[in-house]
Amino acid sequence: MNARRLLPHYAMVLPFALLFAAFFLYPIISGFYYSFHEWNAATEPHFIGLANYEAVLKSRDFSRAMTNLGLYIAITVPLGIAVALALALLVDSFTGFWANFFRSAFFLPVVLPAFLAATIWRWMYAPNFGLVNMILGWFGVPSINFLNDTSTMLYALIAVDVWVSAGFNMVILLAGLKNIPQDLYEAARLDGASRLQQVRYVTIPMLAPILFFVFTYGFISALQVFDVPWLLTGSSFTAYGGRRSALMFPVMDMMGRAFGAVRFGEATAYGFILTFVIILFTALMFGLRAWRTPK
Amino acid sequence: MSAAAANRAIAVELQTWRFLKWVVAICVAIVAVFPIWWMVNVVFADPGVPVSINPRLYPTSLGSGLSKIQTILTETAYLRAYFVTIAYALLTIMGMLLIGSMAAFEFALFDFPGKRLLFGLVMLSLMVPTVVTIIPTYLLVADLGWLNTMQGLLVPGLASAFGLFLLVQFMRTLPREMIEAARLDGASHFKIYWYIALPLSRNAMVTLAILTFMKTWGNFAWPLIVAPKPEIYTVGQVVGLFNAPFSHQTVDVVMTANLLAVLPPLIFFLIFQRKIVEGIAMSGSKG
Repeated sequence: MNARRLLPHYAMVLPFALLFAAFFLYPIISGFYYSFHEWNAATEPHFIGLANYEAVLKSRDFSRAMTNLGLYIAITVPLGIAVALALALLVDSFTGFWANFFRSAFFLPVVLPAFLAATIWRWMYAPNFGLVNMILGWFGVPSINFLNDTSTMLYALIAVDVWVSAGFNMVILLAGLKNIPQDLYEAARLDGASRLQQVRYVTIPMLAPILFFVFTYGFISALQVFDVPWLLTGSSFTAYGGRRSALMFPVMDMMGRAFGAVRFGEATAYGFILTFVIILFTALMFGLRAWRTPK
Repeated sequence: MSAAAANRAIAVELQTWRFLKWVVAICVAIVAVFPIWWMVNVVFADPGVPVSINPRLYPTSLGSGLSKIQTILTETAYLRAYFVTIAYALLTIMGMLLIGSMAAFEFALFDFPGKRLLFGLVMLSLMVPTVVTIIPTYLLVADLGWLNTMQGLLVPGLASAFGLFLLVQFMRTLPREMIEAARLDGASHFKIYWYIALPLSRNAMVTLAILTFMKTWGNFAWPLIVAPKPEIYTVGQVVGLFNAPFSHQTVDVVMTANLLAVLPPLIFFLIFQRKIVEGIAMSGSKG
């Protein structure tokens, strides 16, 4: 009798559970299996122990990609969030029509698919006639080939990235700002706090949980950056990363090993290495939060 | 300092602050909007004048823009990519909403053995990055013989953990008395879901549908690897081709391709702006 009463419940969950098992659990398990095998999808997989992990960790592309990634994350995540917070405070200081107007304007780049942001900016950055160079030209700066000069490529990517993601984080922070009780500001003002001090001692502590989320989420997505550098450099599975691999990132390298070099075992091992880094960082962030939050 | 002088100082500070904030807000708005505006201008510009001489600060010719759009739609495979992407997005939305809401209905409102384990697993999967699953999932799709097919594009994305999370959060707030009353009236389990839970969850479903549309339309990496045949190119791939280093397209043709790709999400944004912003803010504050 009990089984009959439970049956409808399971029937309703079944489609989701099946798809989840097939397209999430199974790939993780099979990927883990492949990561210990040499496999090109044509022959039988051949067990090679940790050799795939070793091959990835020791390769020059990996260290190049990780160096780029480290610098990229160290700049783009804090900068993106600082800009987003500034924009949120700015929008919050307006009311009525103008608050809505500026919020929509700042949010507009988020609406674009990332691949479009990359393709538009590729032309904005173009040497000679690109808009960025044209504006620099007014100030007498000679034309810069942003996407082909190894000293500017990474910063050109970061600029696009901040342009795209600032509006997204702004909206999340803005929702948090609305939840801060006004009397806290009132009290700070009575104590003689300046505008900047109010931000420092009221806004930021009150936003801490949301800033924590935005930071963690921003890190996890930055670590997996793919679309924008791929398109900015005009990459393909056999040639990616741009001039002297200056815009080579881990996911691009992983995709190249899978679909260019057809070494699926190595590519899945790459995915697990990246996941390990992400989990390590997330655990660190949560640990830090638990330690900083008074009991 | 006398009270009057202090007040005056505060008033001056307020004035400069007010002025400065307008200047900054307008500048940032220009930076945010201009690249998109520039794209429109490049498309709707008189042909013949190179971009290097005329930087395209405003549109000059409606007719030439329309004729470029017409050329791209009729002479390239763009229109087919449009249909493929729209079908991909709509089928994903419908499948995800149906499967997700059925499961969310159970997870949010009922108890049964194994529920906590399954739900815990799904929530745990939210923390697992896509990098680790994308290649094994591709290999599975290849094994199934689904490369270059619509089902290969969309089926792996249907069981969305994020979607389930969003719907469960919402359905937890549904009035249980109504469901109890319907059961006492003899309504079947499925009927309660279909006629009571679903209509009451319309708000969350619409939010999820819109976010899913934006995400599917912008999905670049998955179609790139799983559907590499021209017959099933998505808009993202076609745009990528137009922008490839050796495509030998002029900037106005490329920008026309780009503009066509941005129209659907842009129109969606203009209509559903509030829902999109609320949806993103909600997913942020719950994390």
